[in-house]
Amino acid sequence: MQLVSILIILLALATYVIFTQIIRRRRDVPLRPVQAFEQLPLMVGESIEAGRPLHASFGHSGLGGDDTIATLAAAELFYQVAQRAALGESMPIITASQTSALPVAQDTLRRAYLSRDRLGNWRPGNARWHPAPSQPLAFAAALTATIGDDRVSGNVLAGSFGPELALVLDQARRRGTRSVATSVALEGQAVAYAMADSPLIGEEIFTAGGYLGDTAGQRATIVTQDILRWLLILAILVPVANTLTDGALFEAVFRLFEGR
Amino acid sequence: MRRAIALLASVIVITFGFLTLTGLIVGEDLGFLSALAGAFRVAELTSVFLELVVVTVGVTIVIGILNLLMVHGGRVVRARRGWPYSILLLISALAVIALTIAERLALLPAVDGERPASMILLETVQVPVESALAALLLFSLVYGAYRLMHRRVTWTNLLFTLVLLVALLGALPLPGAGISLLASVRDWLMAVPVSAGARGLLLGIALATVVTGVRVLLGQDRSYRD
Repeated sequence: MQLVSILIILLALATYVIFTQIIRRRRDVPLRPVQAFEQLPLMVGESIEAGRPLHASFGHSGLGGDDTIATLAAAELFYQVAQRAALGESMPIITASQTSALPVAQDTLRRAYLSRDRLGNWRPGNARWHPAPSQPLAFAAALTATIGDDRVSGNVLAGSFGPELALVLDQARRRGTRSVATSVALEGQAVAYAMADSPLIGEEIFTAGGYLGDTAGQRATIVTQDILRWLLILAILVPVANTLTDGALFEAVFRLFEGR
Repeated sequence: MRRAIALLASVIVITFGFLTLTGLIVGEDLGFLSALAGAFRVAELTSVFLELVVVTVGVTIVIGILNLLMVHGGRVVRARRGWPYSILLLISALAVIALTIAERLALLPAVDGERPASMILLETVQVPVESALAALLLFSLVYGAYRLMHRRVTWTNLLFTLVLLVALLGALPLPGAGISLLASVRDWLMAVPVSAGARGLLLGIALATVVTGVRVLLGQDRSYRD
């Protein structure tokens, strides 16, 4: 099992490095359209025109646990949103229920404003902690208050959410604001699919940098994910096909190699 | 200067990342790799790093409390929308902090024989509020399914709503052949397609996590480079 883990990591590493170099040479990598990533720039445009902030939330994800990588992926998505929103006057608000996500939120906003040379407009208070790590419904209630009190123009909810996401999305709909939502927890994912204007499904949250950013490394992430996914599908289907044919498939392959 | 700091951060991340990964993944039956990890005491180093992570995450609670006081204090000072709620929040937060300190210093005897006052406060305020919200959640979810169909009727939306209805009706504790048939369909749905779909989603997320982790290990993540 350890060996399999090491092989998967090495395979991902090699594929990522190779495709980063390939994409660096020829930049046009065709990507399938994802509605949420097409909507985000429009949402940012609306926020700038209306002079109202966008709201982004990590949910219950934070650093140091199972959701660490999901937190970093969400931070990349929020960075892309904040960097575009930095052109306007209303700074996005990022909320989190885990304190470990708070420095990430502050740093994400700071880097986004720094990249636009507008660090003077950056306010650390727009990264907010709603203290309810073990009470998801209380956190959802706090988010509904943020949506109302700060008159946000749209919501980008990416991280770890449970069914309580329904309360937040319902409040967003009542306020007439658009929402992009996803969750690495399955219950939250189902709610996001049913209730968000533009849901992100499954691993799409990890591809935000590739769609909204412009570096070869970020695009190589998407290609690497696709290659690993196809390899996984083959790893599932080939043994199934072999079982269905009573081992004839593997026998045929062995004979082919022996013949050579 | 900024580039030098970014480079230093990347070097630290790559070094600590690879050492921790090696410590966690290389066990005792990998021959040469295990011997190498044992010679450099990578497992011990990994456990020290993980303890450091726990301490650092603990420190962020102080950052969180300061953030809470700063955000709501600022809202009160600037008399921004909803400022009375912020006053209420600040008073509640400070009162609970004071109460907990008093309990820890044994200045306040435990009410009701055993339970501390802060726990009673949590149970009488937080739990009822959460229960009320949980009741609302059901309506939000059902309304969400209705909205899904109202927005646009597609095959996937139709299937989603149909499965939702079968799952809800199949869970009803009512007698009757129709309900028991629905319950059997529900059980099959949960055991086969729902389980398969959930595993597919989780596998996709797991693969994406590996790839993003590799990016972090290589120092390619934006937070270390900018």
